[in-house]
Amino acid sequence: MKSIIQNIPGKTVLLMGNEAIARGALEAGVKVCAAYPGNPSSEIIGTLAQVADEMGLHVEWSVNEKVALEVAAAASFAGLRGLCAMKQNGLNVASDFLLNLNLTGCRGGLVLVVADDPAGVSSSNEEDSRIFAKLGDLPLLEPAHFQEAKEMTTFAFEISEQLGLPVLIRSVTRVSHARGNVCLDELPQSSHRPGFETNRPLTAFPALPHHKILHEKFNRAKQIVEASPFNIYRGPEKPELMVFTCGSGWMYSLEAVISLNAQDRVGILKLGTTWPLPENLVTQHLRQADRILFLEEVDPFLENNVKEIYAQNCLTLGLKAFFGKTSGHVPDIGELHPENVLRAIQSIMNISYEPRPSDYAARAREAAAELIPDRALGFCAGCPHRSTYWAIKVALALDGRDGIVLGDIGCYSLGIGPSGFGQMKTLHAMGSGTGLACGFGQLNHFGLNQPVIAVCGDSTFYHAAMPALANAHYNGANFLLLLLDNSATAMTGFQPHPGTGETATGKEAPVIDLKAICEVFGARVEVVDPFDVEATVKTLLNLLQDEKGVRVLILKRECALLSAKHQRRLFRVEVDQKRCLGETCGCNRLCTRLFKCPGLMWDKSAGKARIDEAICTGCGVCAEICPASAIRKEKI
Amino acid sequence: MFSRQIEIGGKVSKGLKALEEKVFNENFCAVCGACLSLCPYLRSWKGRVVKLDDCTLEEGRCFAYCPRTEMELDEVHRGIFGKNYEEIEVGPVRKILMARAKDPIFHQKAQTGGVVSALIDFAFQEKMIEAGVLTPRNGDLLPQGQIVKNRKEILRCAGSSYVSGPTLEAFNRGPWKGEERIGIVGLPCQVLAMARMKISKLDKKTPIDRVVLVIGLFCTWALDYKPFMSLLHERVGGHSIKKLNITPPPERILEVTAGNKLYRIPVDDLRSFIRPSCRVCLDMTAELADISVGTVEGKEGWNTVIIRTAVGEDLLKRAQREGIVETRLLPEDHLRHLKQASLLKKRRALEAIDGKGGIEKAYVRLSTDLIQRILSESKGIKT
Amino acid sequence: MFIPKDPFNVIVGGVGGQGNVLASQILGEMLIIQGYVITIGETYGASQRGGAVMSHLRISAKDQFSPLIPEGKCDLLVALEPVEGLRILAHYGNPGVITLLNLRPIHPIDVISGDIVYPELSQVIAKIKELSRQVWALNATEVALEIGDPIFSNIVMLGALNAIEVLPIHRRGFESVIVDLFPSRTLNENLMAFDKGREVVQKIH
Repeated sequence: MKSIIQNIPGKTVLLMGNEAIARGALEAGVKVCAAYPGNPSSEIIGTLAQVADEMGLHVEWSVNEKVALEVAAAASFAGLRGLCAMKQNGLNVASDFLLNLNLTGCRGGLVLVVADDPAGVSSSNEEDSRIFAKLGDLPLLEPAHFQEAKEMTTFAFEISEQLGLPVLIRSVTRVSHARGNVCLDELPQSSHRPGFETNRPLTAFPALPHHKILHEKFNRAKQIVEASPFNIYRGPEKPELMVFTCGSGWMYSLEAVISLNAQDRVGILKLGTTWPLPENLVTQHLRQADRILFLEEVDPFLENNVKEIYAQNCLTLGLKAFFGKTSGHVPDIGELHPENVLRAIQSIMNISYEPRPSDYAARAREAAAELIPDRALGFCAGCPHRSTYWAIKVALALDGRDGIVLGDIGCYSLGIGPSGFGQMKTLHAMGSGTGLACGFGQLNHFGLNQPVIAVCGDSTFYHAAMPALANAHYNGANFLLLLLDNSATAMTGFQPHPGTGETATGKEAPVIDLKAICEVFGARVEVVDPFDVEATVKTLLNLLQDEKGVRVLILKRECALLSAKHQRRLFRVEVDQKRCLGETCGCNRLCTRLFKCPGLMWDKSAGKARIDEAICTGCGVCAEICPASAIRKEKI
Repeated sequence: MFSRQIEIGGKVSKGLKALEEKVFNENFCAVCGACLSLCPYLRSWKGRVVKLDDCTLEEGRCFAYCPRTEMELDEVHRGIFGKNYEEIEVGPVRKILMARAKDPIFHQKAQTGGVVSALIDFAFQEKMIEAGVLTPRNGDLLPQGQIVKNRKEILRCAGSSYVSGPTLEAFNRGPWKGEERIGIVGLPCQVLAMARMKISKLDKKTPIDRVVLVIGLFCTWALDYKPFMSLLHERVGGHSIKKLNITPPPERILEVTAGNKLYRIPVDDLRSFIRPSCRVCLDMTAELADISVGTVEGKEGWNTVIIRTAVGEDLLKRAQREGIVETRLLPEDHLRHLKQASLLKKRRALEAIDGKGGIEKAYVRLSTDLIQRILSESKGIKT
Repeated sequence: MFIPKDPFNVIVGGVGGQGNVLASQILGEMLIIQGYVITIGETYGASQRGGAVMSHLRISAKDQFSPLIPEGKCDLLVALEPVEGLRILAHYGNPGVITLLNLRPIHPIDVISGDIVYPELSQVIAKIKELSRQVWALNATEVALEIGDPIFSNIVMLGALNAIEVLPIHRRGFESVIVDLFPSRTLNENLMAFDKGREVVQKIH
């Protein structure tokens, strides 16, 4: 039985932070859950989708985060509990609605989970979404571990209903995407019938009275957080150093203090309610130490807000030394990790520490420097994006006008790197490639003579590129849009979308046909299989030179990981060692030196290419590009 | 600009890197096609040869076969004719005649006397060759090499669009069965590239050793495809172009047959489209061919024919005997004029090369003695 | 059987797509049913896209630890790929670490392209031995290919891990976790992979 819906109070299970949040929502009796996938948030709604039928929920992958928040908010307006999840970029999309929703307030509990990706490991940016809570006067909670992720979610629903406000939970990668022990509580049996009280409309306009009400609610929130069990202090009564931390910083701090054997000297105040802050609790702990260190991820949010409280109370608190991102003791970009947390405490406290014998450390680092090759990210073996970018590279070279490829968000964003032959030249937000193309596509009036190409994935297209495409046709922008249709939201874990014919809960759905949409928007549309490299190059060239308004080329080929999952291998591929030209004139290792599919190997001693049978997925594209016809593909 | 060598890692490069820097970047590519279909990094597109990716090899066929990379002209001539280059006027000559095809079928589409088509067709009939590599043009007048096997295909290749095309790409690409004897018709740059292919010591992997007949075409220049096409389309509108012909001097008008109308464009309007590669070309009469064929100014319907090798001589003799072509002596003043035109092209090329950094740095190496002879013998020639 | 120290830190590392996340999850599930407090952290970044990846497993009888193991504090390394094993030791290794190593290299794309070289395997193994208290090595990918799919390499490694008897895990626990996590049709293959991994290591004994 799936751990997430076991109704065995007291049982301990291993859950990912995102699953713990999902479980917390279930224990709170959530009914409607919506999200657009994005790492590190995807598993929250993904997990709930799997149990939607058993638990009687509505769970959906919405086309974008704004719609997702609106869907969850509607449930709340009708008196049900609603959950919405997204990554930091998603909150930017949803923020327009959110910053009206704060003024109208909500009815049933409404929780918005934002999973930030410090260091932008799987994001286009690094961003701290907590600022939105401050911007909108909305309560903000930050879980520090798995158990808390679950409990905080349940708590968030409760205070959302108490205050009549949506509540934000800010998670981070090391909470969302880590696993740990979670003790289960009871799943409720509730059947509340939704209804919207039409005599109590919800409008943000007129703004002023609503803004006043919001401030009243916010003041009530300040009272609630003072008593929150999620704010914990551990340490001596009068520590030499007081650590203020939240989220992932909590467990790193605990371990660092033990490693430095400084339990008697360092205190740690872990805050779970980071907006509004529990002012009394904060003041009380500021009073206990003269040196204060802030440990948090991305921006100095906690740091600056605590300093505001200090400024209000400095006459009674006296002089303090503050350490953190502002002082440079904690890096102001990237993630927290055990080392930088330990270093911060160590340097302030002046404690010496050696994690392992120094001669061992020196030998280990030396071996690494000498022997370990870099492992650059690249497209998977058999990824259709590799052949797409190959075709783009060839077509642009032949076209000869230095065409510009405007990028977008998805696996294909790797087109900025060697695996996509460096073809992609811009990368911003969801749908921005097409939006930028709308602008570039007007610049030929001023003499721009480079052809303009936008790339966009299928899921990204539904999310944010459709308005841009409508704009393109309406305003007569001149560009070529490449829709990289791999039938999946692959980057985030294969969530279905309006083009896949399936809903989040695995039910059949109408397919919203990409080609049909583009044609309705007035574009000339062609469809090719990127595995057919030559045909793709030809079509690309043809469309590049037909410079009349917006043209769309759909490159349709299923994601290689999906094909592997469904065991849809196309070919058995092998290199005829006799025909392989290797490094000689006429080839010079085209397949391994330039195409670089991980399924290929360069056998240096033989001077020939080979197929790595443990990795090759049998797409057969290398056989197409081999100049000597030495790579043979045999249909399976 | 013209400096002879580039180095990669301390070694003189004779590979794609050098080709790119010395030929493509300098806009000296003749689009002959000699480097194409041999290499995955080079492709032709709309009258240009495009480099797709870098190649790291220090030496390659692309550089070795190119008619615009460093070469010793004496060495090339020794490889083809067994002796150094001496005949500075129109290259090695056995006989110079005027000729025309007898069968009117060869006149219909041909530029002038139909001799080239007739000779290739005859070479097939005589079983001298089993395949020809010729240059038809597609609907957009873009010349492309093609392997031809019969008269119908030969006739499709007659005529000219005054644009050079990558004929040798088709030669390199095949497909070849591996036995067939091959005849080729090419421009001077293409004939030079074939000669370089033939004498190259690199592992060939092309059927160059099965080429038994090379017919060269006279050429004073070729035009850059893209700008020339935009000019044509601007002048004739949307009509499809059926034939192009340049009338002889002093008129020199490009006649364009399109949509049942004849448009006339002064050749002077085209001069800016002449490929830079043609401006440094020393060869008007395809001096390394078996037979070279051109027009005869003022004699409508006749070709000038220069026979250079025994193979060429034998073929023409048999063609005459079988009544395929008829020949006459080329009148003295025409012969003089031909030689002057050829010398003038050489002189202009030397001047162009000199203007680009000096003859001693040119792609083609000639002895000082030969250079002096060309300059002195071409003195006073006017167009 | 108990964990040798508390917390006991395990790193499962390799290349994106080798299944390190799954292996560590199975391992975590096998331990949690025995009452341990487990934390698993993943450097998953681009786990399906050929990058270097690892999972950190913290095993404790009493406390929840952070999802990242501090520098020099790895007790057991399960390396699904040789240079990845060395990469992990370089930062997390210490003189007491035990290493279980899959010998099959996966070439980075820059090695495939020839821009950089993959080091001599023997040199990598020698270094790993030098930096570990004890090394157990096997070609798990080959064993998995014999079963029919390289995807089982990670399970072969779990079987091998069972055989070296460092952690309190057993086959019964593995089976119950697999039954929970996977569709039933793959049960036999997974068990076979686990058993083969065990056998290979028992032969080294």
